[in-house]
Amino acid sequence: MEEDLRIGVFVCHCGSNIAGVIDPKKLAERASELPGVVVAKDHGYACSDPGQVLIKDSIKEYNLNRVVVSACSPRLHEPTFRVCVYEAGLNPYLMEMANIREHCTWVHPDYPEEAFEKAFDLIRSAVAKARYLAPLETIKVPVTNKALVIGAGIAGISTALDLGDMGYETYLIEKEPSIGGRMAQLDKTFPTMDCSI
Amino acid sequence: MVDAGHHPKINVLTYSELEEVRGFVGNFKVKVKKKPRFVIPEKCNGCGLCVDVCPIEVPNEFDEGTTTRKAIYVPFAQAVPLVYTIDMDACIECFKCIEACGKLEAIDFSQKEEIIELDIGTIIVATGYDIYDPTPIKQYGYGRYPNVLTALELERLLDESGPTMGKLYRPSDMKAPGKVAFIQCVGSRDDIHEYCSGFCCMYTIKNSLILREKYPDLDISIYYMDIRTPSKGYEEFYRRAREEGIKFIQGKPSEIAQDPNNHNLFIYSEDLAKGKAIRDEVDIVILSTAAEPRPDSRTLGSKLGVTSGPSGFYMESHPKLKPIDTPTEGVFIAGSSQGPKDIPYSVAQGSAASSRASRILSSPEWEIEPLIAFVDADKCRNVRKKCGICETRCPYGAIIAPEGKPAYVIGAKCHGCGTCVADCPEGAITQLHYTDVQIVAQIHAILREKPEEKILVFTCHWCSFGAADTAGNSHLKYPPDNRIIKVMCSGRLDRKFIYEAFRIGAGMVLASGCHPQDCHYITGQHHAERRLKAVPKILERAGISPERFSVKWMSASEGQTFSKVMKESSETLKSIGIERIKEENEKAKPELEKRIKTFREDPDVAKILLADEKVDIEA
Repeated sequence: MEEDLRIGVFVCHCGSNIAGVIDPKKLAERASELPGVVVAKDHGYACSDPGQVLIKDSIKEYNLNRVVVSACSPRLHEPTFRVCVYEAGLNPYLMEMANIREHCTWVHPDYPEEAFEKAFDLIRSAVAKARYLAPLETIKVPVTNKALVIGAGIAGISTALDLGDMGYETYLIEKEPSIGGRMAQLDKTFPTMDCSI
Repeated sequence: MVDAGHHPKINVLTYSELEEVRGFVGNFKVKVKKKPRFVIPEKCNGCGLCVDVCPIEVPNEFDEGTTTRKAIYVPFAQAVPLVYTIDMDACIECFKCIEACGKLEAIDFSQKEEIIELDIGTIIVATGYDIYDPTPIKQYGYGRYPNVLTALELERLLDESGPTMGKLYRPSDMKAPGKVAFIQCVGSRDDIHEYCSGFCCMYTIKNSLILREKYPDLDISIYYMDIRTPSKGYEEFYRRAREEGIKFIQGKPSEIAQDPNNHNLFIYSEDLAKGKAIRDEVDIVILSTAAEPRPDSRTLGSKLGVTSGPSGFYMESHPKLKPIDTPTEGVFIAGSSQGPKDIPYSVAQGSAASSRASRILSSPEWEIEPLIAFVDADKCRNVRKKCGICETRCPYGAIIAPEGKPAYVIGAKCHGCGTCVADCPEGAITQLHYTDVQIVAQIHAILREKPEEKILVFTCHWCSFGAADTAGNSHLKYPPDNRIIKVMCSGRLDRKFIYEAFRIGAGMVLASGCHPQDCHYITGQHHAERRLKAVPKILERAGISPERFSVKWMSASEGQTFSKVMKESSETLKSIGIERIKEENEKAKPELEKRIKTFREDPDVAKILLADEKVDIEA
């Protein structure tokens, strides 16, 4: 299995958010020595169009079968990079991220050397996981096209009216005997000074 | 309001509360508790004869207690639906209302609580906010001085259909006031609530202008810290108030005193613009009280898998990019339940929430992440003797262990927490994308060099990893000696991961996840806590100092907590010292080796273990 692995590592600068503390180029150089890694590159903004083109082109050029993106939090950009690798023909679950921004450069600006070692460890960890990633298929579930809105103040009423107008059957539940919420208690409202009800 | 009541697609269920939510995006099973009104809506014509005969009077919540209502009541004249309700906490069951209702027979004391079951695709939480009760702020005298009001009480008094028909009187003697003052930020931007309640500046300006219109000669002052008018047209509104002679005094009053003879009030404050202390005698003081989370918001949140931030308001998925979404797919938040909001912002969020919801509702099917578990039937113990531990660990009923047969997972029901995986005594269950071999590979990668100098941190996806993100987003610095490995839920944390980390030399290990009530997978955290409780003792017996392993629970909003825990852990690590760590690890190795024995039975995991040992020998 080991010989078949072709991992690409992409280290993002995120402008100066990452590159202002550690050197992404050096990080990529070190990452290129990790087992299974066939190419490691850096880019100013991995999430930008040119950044994604670099990843997609590299997948094709180096025949990559795993991708590690070392950038921001997967809670932010995992969907972005999953789509990116998918568009280059890779299963989206063969991409792993290393969070070297929120978990590293943003919190360790005073320790650039240690931050570099930590970033490398996070990449090494992501590469290690990537070696064992398997392609996965998303699960498709049916959808009941009815909505439930909890609370019938101004926000809940607005939500329910829009959903109702879109044609969805909507349940609007309110724990008080009447809908209206706080808004109903107000006489006139700013900035138009008209009645709230 | 009326539009919602009449809309053919909207079913309004009033006097109803959410009881239970099960299922997942596109497929929620919801139970709604409908409380008995003791009035039959179809028969009640809203005539109000029952009210006339009801002998009970209680404070009227709608008028903030400035008036009373009967035990049988409608909250206000324009209520939707316009149907009476009997407040059973107040009713003495004299049944005079039945008599008054007569032939309509709309009153029915035999009504019982009803549970309605609904199939739902998406849920929007719009439960709003509560008003801070300023009684604890003793220096302002609310509750003791009759002429100190809250802004919402004033709001009711100004209402043409309110208790005084829109006229302002001094509550102490019902005389017309000559001078009134508003105090801003009561319970906001202070020790009580750190945040700004957002809309109070504007409603105070609005109320001052309404008063100006009604009483051109009234002397009106507003005591403020900062006036915040960032939205469109708001600054112009503020300017209009100044042009109309409303006095704005920058200063937060330190005290309100009352003349006991005539109930006049004295405001003690500073005036920052003039740089001097002032004492101002007024007839009425209006407190602009903070908006705060509803008292039951956490209980409701835990039914829906929606967590609260440090302020107690619901936490959005991402403060910039997903302000309407919650960690539970298919559940959205709108309005002030997420944080104080004015009406235009709440309306906009309502539209935004309906749009987010319609993405799902308009699709015939929805894709969900395949991070589910599966059972290796050959390894499952349930075939040989009754086990079924996995079945008891799953809060979704997604794993079944039939007698004498191997357990199996129902894919569509599995949410992918991994709790069954970690608690399987045979290592027969695997979670896709968070397999043992993947996690062990990460542990080994991170601890490849200088392991004794590192703190290995296990986080869950939703909360503690989020807390680390929040620490990052807020640039809260901490020492760089920690390394995170993420799983979906702390329920996935197998004790063997911790033993393996120490076996290969880790300095410290920290396991983390959500707070008990916030678990995204209902009970995953609970099982993690139970399982991890035994770890310190086992480590200690093996020779590892107990302070080298800790467990911390935190929400995604607690960046401060994450940063603090990292700082403390780093100090602990340094105080123990590398030499002692190395000694302890060496001593503990044989015991830890025993504890991770089953890892060696998994060929893929064994390969990682062996490969690293080979490298070590060569070195």
